[in-house]
Amino acid sequence: MPVEIPKDQWPGEVRTVTIGATAEEGGTRSRVVTVGGEKTLPFMHFEAETPNPPVVAIEIKDRRPDDWSPLLLDVWGDVANDPAAWAKAAEEAGADLIELMFSLTDAEGNPITPESAVTTVRAVLEATGLPLLVFGPGQAEVDNELLVPVAEATKGERIVLGICEDKNYRTIVAAALANDHLVSARTPMDVNLAKQLNILITDMGLPPDRVLMDPTTGALGYGIEYGYSVMERLRLAALQGDAMTQFPMIVTPGFEAWKAKESKVGEGVPESWGDWEGRAINWETLTAITLIEAGADIVVLRHPESVRRIKAAIEELMTVPEMA
Amino acid sequence: MAEHTVQFDVAPAPVKVPTGTLLVEAARQAGVEITQPCGGQGRCGRCLVRIVEGTARRRSTLRLSAEDVKAGYALACQTVVEGDLVVSVPPQEKIERRLTTDRTAAAISVPAGYDPAVAQTIQRVRLTLTPPSMEDQTDDWSRLKAALRREAGIEEIRASLATIRQIGTTLREGGWQVTATLDTRSWDCPDCPAYLIDLRPGHIPDDTPLWGVAIDIGTTTVTVWLVDLLSGEVRAQVAEYNGQIARGEDVISRIIYASKSEESMAEIRELVLGTINELIETACKRTKSTPADIVKATVAGNSTMIHLLLGIPAESIRLTPFVTAINHVPTLRAWEAGIGIHPEATVDCLPGVASYVGADITAGVLSSGMDDTDKVTLFMDIGTNGETVLGSHEWLVTCACSAGPAFEGAGVMHGMRATRGAIEEVWVNGETFEPTYRVIGGVKPRGLCGSGLISLLAELFLTGVVDKGGHIKLGLDTPRVREGEHGPEYVVAWAEETQTGQDIVISYVDIDNLLRAKAAIYAGFTVLADSVGIPLESVEQVLIGGSFGKYINVEKAIQIGLLPDMPWERFHFLGNTSVRGAYLALLDARSRARVRDIASRMTYIELSADNTFYEAFMSALFLPHTDISRFPTVGAAILKR
Repeated sequence: MPVEIPKDQWPGEVRTVTIGATAEEGGTRSRVVTVGGEKTLPFMHFEAETPNPPVVAIEIKDRRPDDWSPLLLDVWGDVANDPAAWAKAAEEAGADLIELMFSLTDAEGNPITPESAVTTVRAVLEATGLPLLVFGPGQAEVDNELLVPVAEATKGERIVLGICEDKNYRTIVAAALANDHLVSARTPMDVNLAKQLNILITDMGLPPDRVLMDPTTGALGYGIEYGYSVMERLRLAALQGDAMTQFPMIVTPGFEAWKAKESKVGEGVPESWGDWEGRAINWETLTAITLIEAGADIVVLRHPESVRRIKAAIEELMTVPEMA
Repeated sequence: MAEHTVQFDVAPAPVKVPTGTLLVEAARQAGVEITQPCGGQGRCGRCLVRIVEGTARRRSTLRLSAEDVKAGYALACQTVVEGDLVVSVPPQEKIERRLTTDRTAAAISVPAGYDPAVAQTIQRVRLTLTPPSMEDQTDDWSRLKAALRREAGIEEIRASLATIRQIGTTLREGGWQVTATLDTRSWDCPDCPAYLIDLRPGHIPDDTPLWGVAIDIGTTTVTVWLVDLLSGEVRAQVAEYNGQIARGEDVISRIIYASKSEESMAEIRELVLGTINELIETACKRTKSTPADIVKATVAGNSTMIHLLLGIPAESIRLTPFVTAINHVPTLRAWEAGIGIHPEATVDCLPGVASYVGADITAGVLSSGMDDTDKVTLFMDIGTNGETVLGSHEWLVTCACSAGPAFEGAGVMHGMRATRGAIEEVWVNGETFEPTYRVIGGVKPRGLCGSGLISLLAELFLTGVVDKGGHIKLGLDTPRVREGEHGPEYVVAWAEETQTGQDIVISYVDIDNLLRAKAAIYAGFTVLADSVGIPLESVEQVLIGGSFGKYINVEKAIQIGLLPDMPWERFHFLGNTSVRGAYLALLDARSRARVRDIASRMTYIELSADNTFYEAFMSALFLPHTDISRFPTVGAAILKR
């Protein structure tokens, strides 16, 4: 007996956002990455086409991080000492995008200067042809101090600048507006707050196709259900036609998963937890794939093996099954 | 280009201006100064003029009613000269009274047809007793009762031991002529014998007032009305911040404090009694009366306030399943309640409904009359606790949320109560960002009251000084915006203009408090309306109570998203409805019965039962609201910016 699968028709769709610019487009990237454009819930291929697959960004730092797991530092090895080399290695590991995150201070404890930030970004742009996301260390004043000169020095590259938050978005948005960049808007796991920040940012005149939203999430076992639910509700609102939620979503499962005790700690844990490295990678992978199922357009990861697995999973999810 | 003659009534000579000139410009040329606090954007309505002859084109009539336009009124900054005109410029005071969005609180008037003989439970009677003799050795008490029966038709009485101790002396001192004050119908025992409150030697003249007080204990503000029970007139109104504020701004922190120990409970009780008793003394001083002459009190207030006034443990109000110790307290005597009036005076606390819907709301409903109307009515009491009631004579549902004290001027750096020296309205020029303000009493300002804060926030928002998130934008071309001690701030009044010699400012922290307060109230009534399936648009009237002072500017309150975006004529501002309800119950036994009926009819909706309220609150935590389609007029006003 033939079964008629009911299909939903959504009045709204997610905006398409293109990150990076090739030489023709005023930048220097060898290719650009386009995300968004969903017309239905994730991977409901029978309902509507998903024009752009989710993509993977690899997080790198401007210097060897002090607070990363030794597992990560081991796998990246010496490239972690040099952001340009790290970016190149990340591209080879299969990244679609590079997320460069600045530290608050250099290895000696001196503040990162705007000049050195510009130098670092230039070196990374040289080393890789991938589009870039450049995030400040997360302190409003420092972020603004570093990101403005970076934005000016890289005008036209369509870099994603971040992180815009409720209390600090004006300077970053203005820098993106003036220099043809994009922004990432982060809010703490709340549909209304996400929407409000998007309104504030677009009110400043930044075209909505230059905004990504980061609804914030938690790692597996650390509130991922809540993050999932917020993402799902944001996506449902977008599909229902709410313009201020129709932005591609970026989430940071790498950062979240590597904070979890299960990834961080190798000793003094129950034997039944098994191999540390395998567990840590599983944690990052499972966190990421869950968020992709929730509608994430960009997942930011840290371990190359997680990247390999997630890329494979995305490919599988994007395969349109033959309908009988 | 064609030229036209414009004659202003206050100018010595007419001026000639070309077609298309704005009336304000013509006025300037004629030497007539027309104030434009909003910078000529047609927002404030202060440049109102009347066109006596000729016609002109009005670009905007936002601030004018249809009748205004018909009567020739126009906004000088929005009116274009297209022919010869004769224009009358009204004095500013007149303009203020005409502005359509200002809702002035209804004046207090004695209820129509008030007759103390019918309505009042307190009676004062002059008695002449037969003196005792060897032939008539009846005891003093029976002798007094006989006189009451004979001269006032009062069959039975009761009295406290303290009163009985005094009877003999009083009777003899007055030469067997006395004046007795009795409570003839006790609320909790209407059939009990009349209660003898006071017995005085001699005959008190009829025109001597019979004093009562209506008391409203707000979490932030305590209000006392001193009333002559014979005429029904309110003879003095006084208010002050509740002394308990020192022990916590909201009811929860007060409950926690009070439940720490017996001493802290005693302290918190003393604090509010201190405020009440001082207010009573102030009111008495104003009327040249004495507190001991006050023979009846009614008390309204939220459930926590009533508990703490009476020293009843209130811990259960705070903890699930949120129950009070008592919703309707039996009739008390002033000495046991601790209120500094006649010790035997009757004290009636009005009944509450639930832990967070107290006697302030039942009093408010009584005062608003919403229990007696066919119209679907939304009543809200905008105070520290935002309580809302929706319904009509057929049904009443209610909910409560914690709004914080911002609208009463507390918890805001330069906030104050709506008294002399408070800035009650502000306009901000959209180009220079310079403010113009009005101060209660017309004196130098000391701070901002609730209505001033609402109007200031609305103006800062509409002129783009703050964004939709309530953040003050640094980098505007004005010294008014600066980095302050608590982040960015806006200077409303410079030190040299103020009474305190300090700048009056509003900071982001203050704005955040205001946003939370307005979001809680907006979320409260929207969730309430949703819970009964009533769309807000079908609410026929919105009645607003609160300690805003004389009035509230509806337009400004809509612009910040405190009130729903509805036609202004649906809003009515009632002033402090809680104390007014207490006043009605003080005067009339029928009102007293009605408030009990109201309490029994209200259905309480618990907002903490699920996350609907939280969602609504978060989405209202924005200017005017995350969903701008709920505020079409505000959306249009922002586009004009």
